[in-house]
Amino acid sequence: MPKFPGIKGIFLDEDPLIEQGSKGLRGIGIPDCGLKKSDLKKDESEYIDAKYIRKSPPELPEVSEPTVVRHFTRLSSWNMCVDTVFYPLGSCTMKYNPKINEKIAALENIKNLHPLTPARLIQPALKIIDDFNNILCALTGLAEFGFAPQAGAAGEFAGLKIIKKYFDLKGENRKKILVPDSSHGTNPASSVLAGFVPVEIKTGKAGTLDAEELKKFISKDVAGIMITNPNTFGIFEKDIKKIAEIMHKNGSFVYMDGANFNAFLGSARVSDMGIDLIQLNLHKTFSTPHGGGGPGSGALGVVESLREFLPVPYVKKFGGGVSADKNFKRPVYELSEDKKNSIGRMTPFLCNFAVVLRAYAYLLSLGRENIGSVSEIAVLNANYVKKKLGKILSGSDPFEEGFCMHECVFSDKAIEESGVSTIELAKLLIDYGFHPPTVYFPKNIHGAIMIEPTETESVRTLDNFIKAVKEIKFKTKKSKAVKSPQKTKVGRVNEVLANKQPIFKYLV
Amino acid sequence: MNNFRYFPNSKRDIAKLYRILGIKDKKELFGKILGGIPLIDGGILKALPEELGEEALYRFFLDIDSNIPAKSRTAVFAGGGIYNHFVPSAIDGLISRSEFYTPYTPYQPEVSQGTLFALFEFQSFIAEILGMDVVNASMYDGAESLAEAVLAAMRLSSANRDMPVSHKDDIILISDGVNPSYVSVIKTFAGGTGVKIGKVKLNGRTGRTGIEDLKQKLAGGGGRVPAVVVQQPNYFGIIEDLEALERLVHSNSNSGYNPGLIVSSTEPYSFGVINPPGYYNADIFAGEGNSFGNYMNFGGPLLGLFAAKKEYVRQMPGRIVGKTKDGKGRDAYAFILSTREQHIRRGAATSNICTNSSLNAVRAAIYLSLCSKSGFKEIASLNLKLAHILRDRLLSSGLFEPLYDGDFFNEFSLKLKINGNKNNNTTASEFIEKMAERGIIAGVAVSESALLISATENNRLSDIEKYAENAKEVLNA
Repeated sequence: MPKFPGIKGIFLDEDPLIEQGSKGLRGIGIPDCGLKKSDLKKDESEYIDAKYIRKSPPELPEVSEPTVVRHFTRLSSWNMCVDTVFYPLGSCTMKYNPKINEKIAALENIKNLHPLTPARLIQPALKIIDDFNNILCALTGLAEFGFAPQAGAAGEFAGLKIIKKYFDLKGENRKKILVPDSSHGTNPASSVLAGFVPVEIKTGKAGTLDAEELKKFISKDVAGIMITNPNTFGIFEKDIKKIAEIMHKNGSFVYMDGANFNAFLGSARVSDMGIDLIQLNLHKTFSTPHGGGGPGSGALGVVESLREFLPVPYVKKFGGGVSADKNFKRPVYELSEDKKNSIGRMTPFLCNFAVVLRAYAYLLSLGRENIGSVSEIAVLNANYVKKKLGKILSGSDPFEEGFCMHECVFSDKAIEESGVSTIELAKLLIDYGFHPPTVYFPKNIHGAIMIEPTETESVRTLDNFIKAVKEIKFKTKKSKAVKSPQKTKVGRVNEVLANKQPIFKYLV
Repeated sequence: MNNFRYFPNSKRDIAKLYRILGIKDKKELFGKILGGIPLIDGGILKALPEELGEEALYRFFLDIDSNIPAKSRTAVFAGGGIYNHFVPSAIDGLISRSEFYTPYTPYQPEVSQGTLFALFEFQSFIAEILGMDVVNASMYDGAESLAEAVLAAMRLSSANRDMPVSHKDDIILISDGVNPSYVSVIKTFAGGTGVKIGKVKLNGRTGRTGIEDLKQKLAGGGGRVPAVVVQQPNYFGIIEDLEALERLVHSNSNSGYNPGLIVSSTEPYSFGVINPPGYYNADIFAGEGNSFGNYMNFGGPLLGLFAAKKEYVRQMPGRIVGKTKDGKGRDAYAFILSTREQHIRRGAATSNICTNSSLNAVRAAIYLSLCSKSGFKEIASLNLKLAHILRDRLLSSGLFEPLYDGDFFNEFSLKLKINGNKNNNTTASEFIEKMAERGIIAGVAVSESALLISATENNRLSDIEKYAENAKEVLNA
């Protein structure tokens, strides 16, 4: 067994598909649909006005099915992914994506279901949403989830719109959303999109928000706070209850960015922390694949008083157990728009159903016996890395005292002393066969290196990773560092050139 | 603590971790971290069933799958923003590669060339189909993409594009031919800016956006118009006269500003037959790309397409892949113009979007490669013909009458004929319900008496016959 996964072997090169074409080829079988030959031959202008008809078809490649399959298979081999490497990307929760969930999402009738099929015929599909909602409510302690938001940022936007609408209806013009300086970039961006002015609060020395510091920002102009918990240093906001009290006393809301919910899954409820709204990134905490950048789902949970503000449409349940009326013995599910203060629609249909489906399957797999172990092992793994790496990168852990939650963060202090920068460490790790951690975020840690191991990595893998960092720190020559990575399909990419003379597409 | 199959740490490993950290157990660990916040107890977790083994889990979902309309016995003629197209097996084969579906966003280009190259090809193919300069690497869905297009047009209309400005004196003109759900999403997004939404009526006979009404609204002095929004083909399936609309929109400067033309579409497959938005000098295109190699998935995830003229690239939302070189001069791909985005610009970003529909976009790239130049055109043509045959067949039954008579691609709208059925009062929704029980998803109701009907290459002539015969039975029952 090699010490590190590393990279050996060959990379197969591949030309753009457009250069591989040969006139007349194609990779799809086209049915005749039972049409008569005479109809198939008819010109389009026999159906519609010739002035609309496209004269030159789009220049797509002209290639066969095997060519397409080889092309994209080769391309795929140039990617690192969760299934091939340790992917310790902080704040992204790159956990294992169970294969059974893919099989379920590929079920023939579910994947081919038209979203506007009459509700009476699709009761089991609608029930999934309702059941999943109930589980999320139990895990968070909140009253109801809306599934329209397609990703984390969309969930943030929906939550902030709700806060906005709440105050609009009350006739209060509250303009500000407080955002810690260590927050994800989406937080201030979503605030602006929802019509607020984000106001940055400095994080305290301990890496957390200080309730006393917060008080300085409190005024009747403040609609709420967006707080990431555990925060982007992986540290639990100790003052969270106090912060929530201060906000609530001011009539303001506490929105929690749930990107880091993996730290709490099955172990703690956000309702016990005084949270009013949270988005859960199903593509992080709930194991649905990231897909190289999406799709995701940012299910938004709210407290009782905000339920009527959630986006529409939603799955409404009628009857089921409580009613004496015979007709209502079995619950009936409908797609409803009836939410009297709804912020409106966010998506053409109901939700990213195939993502919700996988997340629901994940929870059912775990069951009540195992769900609490997710956060437990995630926190244990992160603290193990924090402790072990903390020794190697001495003086680089800004929060040496105490425990982190699901991720830990280091500055570049120790590696800088060895002449290696954060970006060089990231790129060097690639040659050892690891995906780099999140780097240079959060911004208030110098040359930040943010590591999130998740619960689906073994101690053995973590030990290998730690060994790699150690080797880099003690053995790397600067000349090698600047040239890394060297074993990848391409070397360090020229991003200056890419931005100076942007090429957005094939030049045909 | 048990050994669940997704956790690679054994009980011994976990005991070792606790020992190294000097902690006894979970209670102590979380107690130290969370302070007064209680640990979840068994009572709360009752909402979650007991663990389901893999086989039991699969059967649970198989049961759900067999209690919804079966693909093998259902003819789908419903569109309304999502279409029942054929998905070649090669796409599923390729997308099931972990290397495509399990990585994160390709922020580390050296280890993400596969996704980046595939997205670059996606951008290239979509740009060709739309006839537009720049396409981004995807948005969530057509509606969100269109809402972001409206916001982009509003920024472009402001003198100082970096500053949030009041849009209280602005009015966005939206054709009644735009999918009503899309209009709702625009309202959700643009609601906070103060901008007004003005509607442009359709020509009652053709179903196309009314040129006269648009002329009036542009001249109407309701405010400055940053953009006019139309859909091609429109919600009712009608092909808009973009040439006339573009001339009117771009030549108008009544409010001291030449409005931008935003073209949306829920069925870009139409651009295999009809002229694309770029041909008509559209400023921004924002629509749905699900038709390209993606399943309907009960409405999501979808594939938002966003394209613009290159001079507007800096106001575009979302990620864009560009081609560049590595240190050795080899071709390489990376995200470009990231200074537009939230992870760099935070509150001043062009959008808050981060996660998008990357995997759906890669599916589309594979699909369009498989279609190739000739296949794309032929399938589009097949859609056109099937829809026309279906419409003729339904009209000849005497049970329906046309809602509009404008040209259409693969979707059209019909009214149930008054006195055409014995009850005289079957509504479009009731008709659709009854047809659904017979294995035909007959369309989407657009009013009490009218419905949208579409046909794709997944429908056969025999399905069309089945539709007509069943409609007769349902309406004459």
